[in-house]
Amino acid sequence: MATTITATIKMYQVGELGDCFFLRFTEGARQSNVLIDCGSFRNSQKSIDRLNIIVKNIKSLLKGKKLDVVVGTHQHNDHLSGFVHCETLFTGLIDQVWLSWLDNPNDSLARNISKDHKGLVSQLQAIHNKLSSLAPLKEALKDGVVQDVLGFYAAAGGDPEIPARGIEVLRKIGNKEIAYLTPGQQLDLPGLSAGSVKVYVLGPPRDQTLLFDKDPKKGESYDPKLAIAGLNATRLLSALDNYDPTTDNREEEQFPFNKNFQIPKNAKSETLRIYNDKDNSWRKIDLDWLDQASRLALYLDSYTNNSSLVLAFELVKSKKVLLFAADAQTGNWLSWKNIQWKDAVPGFTSYSLLQNTVLYKVGHHGSHNATLVEGLEKMEHEELVAMIPVDEKDPNITKENGWKMPAANLYKRLKEKTQFRVLRMDKGFADGCDPVKNKGKAKWDKLPHKPVVDPKNFFIEYTVKG
Amino acid sequence: MFKPTVRLLRGYSLDPGFSTRLDTAAINEITYQVKWEKLEEGPCGSYFEVIDYDPASNCFYAPVDLDSPEVMLQNGLSPSEGNPKFHQQFVYTVAMTTLGHFEKSLGRKIIWPYRLVEHKGTKGKPSTFTHEYVSRLRLYPHAFRDANAFYTAEKKAVLFGYFEAAAQVQGSNLPGGIIFTCLSPDIVAHELTHAILDSIHPRFTENTNPDVAAFHEAFADIVALLQRFTNTPLVQNQIARTRGNLSEFSFLGELATQFGNALQGNRGALRGAIGHTDADGNWKKLDPDPQAYHTVFEPHDRGSLLVATIFDAFIRLYNVQTEDLLRIATNGTGVLQPGAIHPDLAKRLAREACGIAEHLLHICIRALDYCPPIDITFGDYLRALITADLDVTPKDNTGYRLALIEAFRSRGIFPDRVNTLSIESLRWAKPELFNDHENEILKYIAKELKERMNQIIDYSLQEEDKREETFLESQRIQAWLHGLLVQDKKAILGPEAWSGFLVKLGLTDKPVSFQYEGKTIASKGVPPLEVHKVRPVYRVGREETLVEQVIITLTQTFRIEGGDYDGTKFRGGCSLILNMSRNYDVEYIIYKKIGSQRRFEHQLDYQLGKTPANAALSDSMYDDDKGFKSINFASLHFHNGI
Repeated sequence: MATTITATIKMYQVGELGDCFFLRFTEGARQSNVLIDCGSFRNSQKSIDRLNIIVKNIKSLLKGKKLDVVVGTHQHNDHLSGFVHCETLFTGLIDQVWLSWLDNPNDSLARNISKDHKGLVSQLQAIHNKLSSLAPLKEALKDGVVQDVLGFYAAAGGDPEIPARGIEVLRKIGNKEIAYLTPGQQLDLPGLSAGSVKVYVLGPPRDQTLLFDKDPKKGESYDPKLAIAGLNATRLLSALDNYDPTTDNREEEQFPFNKNFQIPKNAKSETLRIYNDKDNSWRKIDLDWLDQASRLALYLDSYTNNSSLVLAFELVKSKKVLLFAADAQTGNWLSWKNIQWKDAVPGFTSYSLLQNTVLYKVGHHGSHNATLVEGLEKMEHEELVAMIPVDEKDPNITKENGWKMPAANLYKRLKEKTQFRVLRMDKGFADGCDPVKNKGKAKWDKLPHKPVVDPKNFFIEYTVKG
Repeated sequence: MFKPTVRLLRGYSLDPGFSTRLDTAAINEITYQVKWEKLEEGPCGSYFEVIDYDPASNCFYAPVDLDSPEVMLQNGLSPSEGNPKFHQQFVYTVAMTTLGHFEKSLGRKIIWPYRLVEHKGTKGKPSTFTHEYVSRLRLYPHAFRDANAFYTAEKKAVLFGYFEAAAQVQGSNLPGGIIFTCLSPDIVAHELTHAILDSIHPRFTENTNPDVAAFHEAFADIVALLQRFTNTPLVQNQIARTRGNLSEFSFLGELATQFGNALQGNRGALRGAIGHTDADGNWKKLDPDPQAYHTVFEPHDRGSLLVATIFDAFIRLYNVQTEDLLRIATNGTGVLQPGAIHPDLAKRLAREACGIAEHLLHICIRALDYCPPIDITFGDYLRALITADLDVTPKDNTGYRLALIEAFRSRGIFPDRVNTLSIESLRWAKPELFNDHENEILKYIAKELKERMNQIIDYSLQEEDKREETFLESQRIQAWLHGLLVQDKKAILGPEAWSGFLVKLGLTDKPVSFQYEGKTIASKGVPPLEVHKVRPVYRVGREETLVEQVIITLTQTFRIEGGDYDGTKFRGGCSLILNMSRNYDVEYIIYKKIGSQRRFEHQLDYQLGKTPANAALSDSMYDDDKGFKSINFASLHFHNGI
């Protein structure tokens, strides 16, 4: 018979955008310690120092014990950098690591996808480097999208390998054999009695019909959209040679037409006169074709976010659920409802987990594309609390045309759904959610435990009883 | 001197992919007839300038000279994927064809949307703005390397992309071959329609309800699709193949097949109006789903509901109007013998089909003038279709209007607050509610307007291109009308009567105020008024009725600044249709009230994402989840691709 469990969740303040969640489940004298992600956006000394302090804090809390489970959700710097920067601290501290099936080197589908994925990152990096070196085209990088997205891989300046190395570290650091998780799996949480806390794996989708928009054919058993993005990136790189006098690209000479059809840029021609007419300069299209670089970057970004490992921790006795959605975007969320749960009671679906969610770790720092509206609406538990790992001072957010995190409507709706119980990484309580200042409005009184904001040790803590 | 009326130009009827298929090669090349005009190299005429600059390849391609005897004597260059000069010619050809349909239906010349130019104020004075005339839409046949094409209002241009086909064999594509979007007549017509629609209704790019973006997409597809059905040899070929049954599989109902085949993981055409290819590669007819209108919100998917509706009306009309032919051909049974149908029958059926398509196309285009200038819904469009058609074709012995109503009904698309689906209820109400005072002012406006319209009417009757003069003259009349509506009120009516009059036009002369989420949201002053256009039109319907009207559009805008709703624009206004031959009587006022609390709530609920429809058309972290931004065709079209 399952007993009452307390789950204490610490959201660490990494000082910029990033995720680091320490969960402690207590069942009488037994304990299970779980770490979900440990990373921040940048790799500056300041970022590294902060992560070190945090990991030391976690270590001290463990009092000589090990982390029962460490979860790496997806290959972005802001989720994994800590495992690289604090590798020494983590060594010997971890019992088992959980990664998604996409990180499994023995899975051929995952290998293929991973190859394309890596390829796209490096192509985008190459596009970025080339564009920055070609004076007339540099302007195309002005919107900052390419740099921003490469930033998730620490690839625009800094060490491009860090997120990948994070996975490498995680693959070998655990005491026990690593577990690569696939949606539909249900696991007992190590360290506790069997059947007291159940972990449901929701994403990333493996079902091929979901990974792909259309039917995959034989021989193309990996993500076709990713492949087409790779093809586009290759073409874009090749086209950049047309602006680079130092390269000789034969392929470009006949693409798309025979060279004989071209006219010199100083030829006497009506077309040239109209195009170069000063009064009509607003109609020029010199750089429009390079918008593709930003689009590829955004695609890469949502692709990686969708590869997030999504876990729901169910406190079996009370059925209460802690939902950790990492950075999952629409495609990932939509796939959950099609999961067939083995041995489930009749009527149980993935949406039952949403209905019982009492703690929602908000996806992708609160961006609008990482919480499915339909999903959020399903969260109806009286005790629902949301945690947003967002930092309003992060330059990605404060800059002009910065990222909208948290997105206004989502933020507002989260407050409504949680009865003003939203916790933020940067300021502890979201506006309107302070138990003292907003007494009456923020309904913390109904819950057995109040959140603890500890800026000295850089965390916001909340406890679920069930 | 002899002056030709048309220019003959060869081109593809479907897209280049069909030229390499045995069954379609013969019908894929046709000779288009476009309106004659003097052309410069490019081609550059009075409406379009084709600029073949390929920035990705860092080069310009030599422009085609369609007026040179070598080219003219051969009805233009022969269709070829490898010759950019043919590409230039083809883009021009389809653009002119599309334009021709619009000018014929609308009964006036198309004037491209003006360019808004800001003049920075000196010494701290605020900037002023002017509306600059744009004579030619610019067409870039090879603007970028991607599977897309789009209209940009900012540059008044259409950019066409090209890309490499996927590396596997699909349909009739060449793996790794190059696909040029500018060689697909569907894509060219679709983009051109976006541009023309923007010139008629510039506010239809504002994302105020889930139908707006969908309407822009749907309308562009409808024009592309019906235009293809006006191509007689093609239709005849397909009718012979499907034995006269147009609802059977036929690539006539698909758009951009080559483009669709070329995308990896994509089967068949980009969008199918009759059916689609399922995951197993089988073609399936689409059954109307009356629930879809309430559950489908992605702009293209939602738009395809409207396309399917119009196409459904087309099939219904075709079936009814060809029944007698089938009976004649089958000794009165109406049941065809197995095997091929007689070529004469195919020819007659094709003639019917093409005739219906052309009528329907013109009905669809003409309805634009009968749409409210803002916040369009599919239901509004149905009412516009019915009203517009009633005006030019009062009798309708052939059932066009009923076919449309039936088709809309079968898809569950109903206008807002209409009691019955009869033609009488669907027709926009004729204004009979004016009191004596208001009639006085209408008479006054009519009298003044009549004098001012003389010049512009003169321009519109001339064969020469007087579009710029028309534009400038129209601006003068707009300014006059604006002055009258904003300032001269008390001189004519008492202030109260004047307010009442404006309300009937969907406008107000007072600040507006709304309740939302328990708060009052009010404008500081009277929302600014704009007079968008004053244009005379001359149209001829199916029964050869000539209709002479003046179309005026008025809008008023309340901009919310600051707070949670910062950036919202709430508009009201009307399309005003006056009858020139009846002394400028007001025929219709098609309005959306600026003071409507109900509409205000609906718009904000939608834009704030409170409805199932996803208002945020973008999926990027740079965008908020609000729907306040205007619709951007570049990203809308890229939405499904990469």
